Amino acid sequence: MELKYGLISADSHAGFDRDDFTSRMSAAKWGDKIPHVAAAPPRERDADAAPSPFGGHEGGDGWTVYGQPPGALANCPALMPKNPVVSPKRWEEVPRGYYDPAERLKRLDEDGVDAEVLFPNPPGNTFFSFKDADFELDAVRAYNDALGDWTKVSDRYWPLMTLPWLQEMPGMVAELERAVAAGHKGINMPGHTPSGLPPIFNPHWDPIWDACQQLDIPVHFHGSAGIHAGMKLKQWDGYSRRQGHSAFTSTSAVTPAQIVPNMIFAGVTDRFPQLKVVFAEAGIGGLNYVISACDYEWEKRRLWEEGLITRPSETVRRQMFVNFWFEDEGIKLRHDIGIDNIMWESDFPHITAYYPDSWKAVDRVLEGVSESDRTKLLYENALRVYGVNATIKTPVPA
Amino acid sequence: MYEVISADDHVQEPPDLWTSRLSKTKFGDRIPHLERDTDGAEHWVVDGRVLLDGHVALTGALMPDVTQEPRQWSEVPPAAYVPADRLKAMDEVGVRYSVLFPTVAGPAGEAFGSIADPELELACVQAYNDWLIEEWAGASDRFVPQCIVPVTPAAAADEIRRAVAKGHRGVVYPAVPMELKALPHIAEPEFDPLWATCQELDVPLCLHAGASRSLQYSFPEGLPPRRAEALDAVTKPVSMVYVLNTFLFARILTRYPKLKLVLAESGLSWAMLDLEWSDHQFEHDELPSEGYEFTPLQLFHRQCYLNTWYDPVAPFAHYLGADRILWSTNLPRATSTWPKTQEIIERSFQGASDEVRKQVLWDNAASLYKV
Repeated sequence: MELKYGLISADSHAGFDRDDFTSRMSAAKWGDKIPHVAAAPPRERDADAAPSPFGGHEGGDGWTVYGQPPGALANCPALMPKNPVVSPKRWEEVPRGYYDPAERLKRLDEDGVDAEVLFPNPPGNTFFSFKDADFELDAVRAYNDALGDWTKVSDRYWPLMTLPWLQEMPGMVAELERAVAAGHKGINMPGHTPSGLPPIFNPHWDPIWDACQQLDIPVHFHGSAGIHAGMKLKQWDGYSRRQGHSAFTSTSAVTPAQIVPNMIFAGVTDRFPQLKVVFAEAGIGGLNYVISACDYEWEKRRLWEEGLITRPSETVRRQMFVNFWFEDEGIKLRHDIGIDNIMWESDFPHITAYYPDSWKAVDRVLEGVSESDRTKLLYENALRVYGVNATIKTPVPA
Repeated sequence: MYEVISADDHVQEPPDLWTSRLSKTKFGDRIPHLERDTDGAEHWVVDGRVLLDGHVALTGALMPDVTQEPRQWSEVPPAAYVPADRLKAMDEVGVRYSVLFPTVAGPAGEAFGSIADPELELACVQAYNDWLIEEWAGASDRFVPQCIVPVTPAAAADEIRRAVAKGHRGVVYPAVPMELKALPHIAEPEFDPLWATCQELDVPLCLHAGASRSLQYSFPEGLPPRRAEALDAVTKPVSMVYVLNTFLFARILTRYPKLKLVLAESGLSWAMLDLEWSDHQFEHDELPSEGYEFTPLQLFHRQCYLNTWYDPVAPFAHYLGADRILWSTNLPRATSTWPKTQEIIERSFQGASDEVRKQVLWDNAASLYKV
């Protein structure tokens, strides 16, 4: 591909059209269980909430999955009118640039972004909580096909597949290979595996890492996507929506510091030394802690005697990738973290996005950063991580 | 040799601490005591519950092999529980003063919080607090004693007053009281007596990492012990992010502007991102419109302390504030820098000024604990 701008977002969120699942799943087999948009009263916990940009369900339309009460409709505050920013309540209010890949290209051009890695939006990408393996498989295939079709519209879309976790391993790997053929560039992992199945870093799941290594596709952990579930301090219910959002969001700073040590000390990274792991919306500074803490304990407890032969900081440089968007202090330490391990992300079209002013934010955060570091951070690292060949039309403005 | 005030060390409670101080007729076998398995291994039991994950003591740093914890009390090194021996171990690595946290009573003071009987909980707590004053603070003024408390706020406030009058200079409190007892969330005003008492008596409130495993990502099962312990040692400090954010956003520090909050065994480097992100999100989510006087970073700079033992300091001190960082040896835990404390200090302070090093190794703890 040809880069027009020299800016790749390693974390954006695709929107779903209301017929994305109904057109791809059997109505005879699944009926109203198919993910679709329905009108519904507000959920009890949202009934008194003030309209907010954070994608709750305050009444109006929402996605319903497997016959459950409708939840959020669309998370696209960056595309909504400002002052105050609110999420759309009716499907008719959802901007086309959210779910229509052709229309969305115009939004990317407005923002000066060449390509984007696509994470989910409502109805989300985990379908295992209903404990119905057949349903999960069909919904996963519909999800992967819907986003695979975005790549037919443009090679500027780099979607991430979801996996059918309730299948036996051969079925999981088959869907993984099918999704790669359909254009997917990686896997978005759930924060936790379905209850009753081994935890994510149990050797049971090694065939997944093996397939990713063979196919050279990275796996992804998204900061706010369920990693905290079961580990966070119960959120205080005295916060307003905005306060709760702020107090929770920044704790994602430590998700790499929980996940990476698990992968290293469970031996996953030593068994799969070419596996690439990306942390989205978790900032970059968390790796500072991972590097010093894991090296310290590895030395202290002589873990090479236990078969963990690689120094953890070498593992991090070899296999771990993190994304920035606002982080002045983290960027100052980019060489401690690893200049080849950092990518830019927009989070478009979520509240975090600077759209349509991404370049202003980029120039502010990267003030004083050398040209060669800039190009690595803004697109070269992303091209390498996702195995994309590209030429650049114009040099990145310094 | 750099002179150090170690702001986070642990005493090892001896087998007769509670049995010699609590009424056998009143509490019977519910008193914390050691029990021996058929294979000779010993472990602590209180109120029918096994403590310390079945360990008799946590003293890896003082063992011939740091990866091996003692299996019986007879294997526990004296420097773990004999004050005179501890002083010698401190002398070897340049530690002049040592701020004391418990072990059997819970590294974060959490072990007795889930005892249902408030009378037994209080008796266990008071025995520890009295013992620490008599046996450790009484042995040398180089030991800085900190009290543990019952988790219920009013009872905690009473015990703080009693303990501080006896000479305790800090309060160890588990950050998850609502997991230990049927209590409201720690951010609720029910806890105000606790914060108010610490503020009034000017003793730091010390929340130590590891109060709850539920704040760490679940480990893969079947991990060999050495790897599991390394994983625990790395993921425990960062679990403090949830606690720190609660104090910053739930207005506890705003309501108690003189309360001093110490995050013990927190590590350092992760907090820079958490605080930069918190301030960024604070603006981005328009929280100034919701009546906050200070940003999270401003509150941190005014009232919070982090505590580390091996992190590099220079890259983070300018943002976190050199006056916000405490040093420790973490003796006698396996993760302790002992006996290489001085070597690791040399490495950790590369690029930092002499002034920053002195603040972190000495001045901050000296003023916090009035040494």
